[in-house]
Parts: sequence; structure tokens; C-alpha cells
Amino acid sequence: MDLAPMDDFERELRVAFVRRPAPPDLKGKIVGRRWQRASRSHRRMIWLERIAASLILAAVAGGAAFWRHESEKRRAEDAKQQVMTALRIAGDALDEVNAQLTDRDQDAQ
Amino acid sequence: MAGDWQPDFGELIDEHQSMVFSLALRMTGDYGLAEEIAQDVFLELDRHLCKMESPLHALCWLRRVAMSRSADALRRRRVRGINQWVEIDETHGARVEDRPSPLADQLERLLATLPEAQRAALVLRYQEDLTPEEIAALLGSPLATVKSHLQRGLKLLRTKAAIHLKEYVRGA
Repeated sequence: MDLAPMDDFERELRVAFVRRPAPPDLKGKIVGRRWQRASRSHRRMIWLERIAASLILAAVAGGAAFWRHESEKRRAEDAKQQVMTALRIAGDALDEVNAQLTDRDQDAQ
Repeated sequence: MAGDWQPDFGELIDEHQSMVFSLALRMTGDYGLAEEIAQDVFLELDRHLCKMESPLHALCWLRRVAMSRSADALRRRRVRGINQWVEIDETHGARVEDRPSPLADQLERLLATLPEAQRAALVLRYQEDLTPEEIAALLGSPLATVKSHLQRGLKLLRTKAAIHLKEYVRGA
């Protein structure tokens, strides 16, 4: 088909196939659906933000609990070391007293 | 400069809703489905609004997407096995003042009986006043194929019109 002059039938077609008016509420419906989509996307974003905030809070709380646990473990280790040192000193002192008493008994005999 | 164009979504709807709706209506023959397709096309435009470079680009994009969405809808309808003839008669959604003249209505009904590819070519040629080259570019088809669809479609429509419109004139 070349762009030859249109015959009567083609001219009739052009008149018949003129653009039809869109439904009067089409724009309103499009804008409404667009708003709904934006609102859904906004709600999804809020949920994502909430989930992210919850994860951060859980990580911070977990970290704090771990740090406290480690700190208490370290303090307990220190206390244990101190008790062991005290026991060692007391043991040494008792050994010395025991040695002196043994010497005195031998002298008395 | 084309790149400086700031598209306004509302204005684009005002300007092109009739074109998009008419393409969808003439391709599907269903008023309700055409309205749904037009909504989907504009919502897709909204998603791609930042990519629109010029008013002409937006117009061509809308034509292409309207045709492709209409083809998708027809395919879905074929898969579901809905009787097209019944659907084409369905114009109850249209306001009385929006309905075409009886002759135009008859021609639209005859158009709806043509094969889809011929219908697409004829709608783009006579509704949108596109050249065969422009139609080929828009549909992504070879020029020879488009010319063949136009020729065969026009011939078929002419034959059908010669039979049915005579009856219409006698019945009027």
C-alpha cells in the first residue's frame, strides 16, 4: 500500500475511526490507583524501616548483654585469682608455722 | 532541548486518554476492558515518566504500550476461551453521547471481525493516521508485513462493508 490518495471508503473509515472520548472518570480512576500504589509503597517502606530499627535494637541489646556477660566473667576470674593468691599465702604461712612447731618439738625431745 | 522536558502526568492523561482508550477499545471491542487497559497503560507511564524525553516520545510510547497491552488482553481472553463476539457487543459501559454514529458503530463491529494483525494495522492507519513505515516501527514488524496487513484488512473490510452496510441502509 502506497500513500495514494484515499478513496471514499478510506475517508469513511477515517471519519468512523475518529478517537472516541475516554470515560469521564478515567483520569480519576488512574489518579486513585496511582495514589493507592504510592500509599502501599509508603506503608511497605514504613514496615521495612520498622524491621530495620528492630534489628538494630536487637543487635545493640544483644551486644550489651554479651559485653555485660564478658565483663562479669572477667571480674569473676579476677576474684578467683585473688582468692587463690590469698590461699597460697595462707598455705605458705601455715607451712612455716608447721615447720617451726616441728623444730620446737625436736628441740624439746 | 528534548532532555529538558518535564512531563506532567496529569497533562499527559488529559492529552492522550482518548487516544489510548480508543486504541484499546478498537483492538479489544470491550468497553470495560479498554478502560482497564487504559488505566494500566497510564500507570505504567507513571513508572517510566522519568525516561520520557519529549512529548512525541511519550505519544509514541503510549501508542506502543496501548497496542501491546491490548494484544496481551486478547491473548488472555483467548486462553480463557471467552467468546469475543459476545464481548464485542458489550457497550453498556459507554455513555449514550459517547457512542459512535450508527455507521461508525457498524464499521467498528466489522473491524472487530478482522484478524488481530490486520485490525491493528487499520486502527493505527485510520485512527492515528500513521504511515505504514510508522506502523511497522511501532509494532516492530517488517514494513512488507504491515503493508500486506493493511491491504488485506482493507480489502476484507470493504467486502464485509459491501454486504453488511447495504443491509444496514435497507434496515434504516
